[in-house]
Amino acid sequence: MRVGLQEELDQLEASLQEEGELVRRALRGSLNALGQQDEELADEVIAFDDEVDRCYFGIETNIQSLLARQAPAAQDLRLVLAILHDNLHLERMADYCVTVAKLTKLVHDAPQDATLTEALEDMGTRAEEMIQAALDSFASRDVESAESLVDMDELIDAANRRVVHQILSISADPDLREWGLRMLLVSRCLERIGDHAVDIGEQTAFLVSGQFREFTDASH
Amino acid sequence: MATRTPSEQTNEEAQQGMEVGREACIEVSDLNLYYGSFLAVQDVNMRIERFKATALIGASGCGKSTFLRSLNRMHELVPGARAEGRVTLDGDDIYAANIDPVSIRRKVGMVFQAPNPFPTMSIYDNVAAGLKLNTRRIKKGDLDTVVERSLRGANLWDEVKNRLGKSGSGLSGGQQQRLCIARAIAVEPEVLLMDEPASALDPISTLAIEDLVQELKQDYTIVIVTHNMQQASRASDTTGFFNIEAAGEPGHLVEMGPTEKIFTNPDNKATEDYVSGRFG
Repeated sequence: MRVGLQEELDQLEASLQEEGELVRRALRGSLNALGQQDEELADEVIAFDDEVDRCYFGIETNIQSLLARQAPAAQDLRLVLAILHDNLHLERMADYCVTVAKLTKLVHDAPQDATLTEALEDMGTRAEEMIQAALDSFASRDVESAESLVDMDELIDAANRRVVHQILSISADPDLREWGLRMLLVSRCLERIGDHAVDIGEQTAFLVSGQFREFTDASH
Repeated sequence: MATRTPSEQTNEEAQQGMEVGREACIEVSDLNLYYGSFLAVQDVNMRIERFKATALIGASGCGKSTFLRSLNRMHELVPGARAEGRVTLDGDDIYAANIDPVSIRRKVGMVFQAPNPFPTMSIYDNVAAGLKLNTRRIKKGDLDTVVERSLRGANLWDEVKNRLGKSGSGLSGGQQQRLCIARAIAVEPEVLLMDEPASALDPISTLAIEDLVQELKQDYTIVIVTHNMQQASRASDTTGFFNIEAAGEPGHLVEMGPTEKIFTNPDNKATEDYVSGRFG
């Protein structure tokens, strides 16, 4: 057995799960800041991104070192490649959380539409569930569970479309217009987090089967 | 040669992961190799494609070198050794009763683990030796041409062209191995068998041999036995994995397929464990 290689692979997986947990906390923080229009919390979410970046660079550096020294093959190689992709997806998700926080700051004292805020909170909660499902299915090598992310993503996509309609309906109100435009971007960020979760699911399928495939085509 | 669709592949071919339709240089069917009563290699079926580098990997004692030697009938030089089954070169059975093993060894050359130039011969004579031994008469001018072409083919010409009369044993290990390759290709074989050709060489000489394999396969079919999995993954197009179930059991071919597949997504668990280094 290659004990050293296995230990390094285990460490990489643990770091990826840790990064995922940080991203979930960043998302929860950004949603709370959004709902409560809490500028201070938004600043904390923005600063917290450094923690995610530290984790991201750590995984990246360790993968570079492992590839150079251990020359993994077969499933070990696929695991390293999948973690490399997942690491990037998680880092991007955290960046979307930062964007939500920055948008929140821009309109922290503007009037909100309660219905729309609630819809965005629901979208965010679904995105949180997707991150957890993506990481759990990766850890358990559960392709069926990974594929279920597509159904979860369709719910977020549908919610995004509804949010767009709601924003259009309030756009005539000059008091809500700027806030509404910012929320259009928030909705888009949450929708993209869902897409990245699906991408992590695709890496799980690649890890298990050795074949990379998109779960859905570009029309979805 | 008739070309069949993938759906018409036999189970055996599918197990071997080989595409039907590509031209086989060597075809091995139901091959069993014995040392006396001991069955060393069991039931090998394999297609070796022309102008490709095929690597054979597996733990020590799994029979890959024995199998390699059966491809030019060197296996039977060991007293009591014998082969059962069929090995064809360009469709002709190399074990047929009317076939002279020497003629097979001319078509299927061998490069060994340790460089073995003839110690008392010059560099020139080392390369010319194979040709002189296999050809009745050859003019000096023709011999010069073949020696130069062979040394160039082995990427050694520029390093030795000014000292062709010096002893081959004065060369470095890597140069000696390339001299042996030049000697092997001087007789213009179809196939070059290489048994751990770089295991005694330093990393730079090893890479020189691997680069040479890439060049040689333009003109020759290469079969290379190696313990170095990185070398197999770098230097070969196709890889076959040999294994034994337990000590004293015969070696057998577990899986064969494109090198990229064997090293990224093999079909067999034993192959997966071996290429991942999860054995022992």
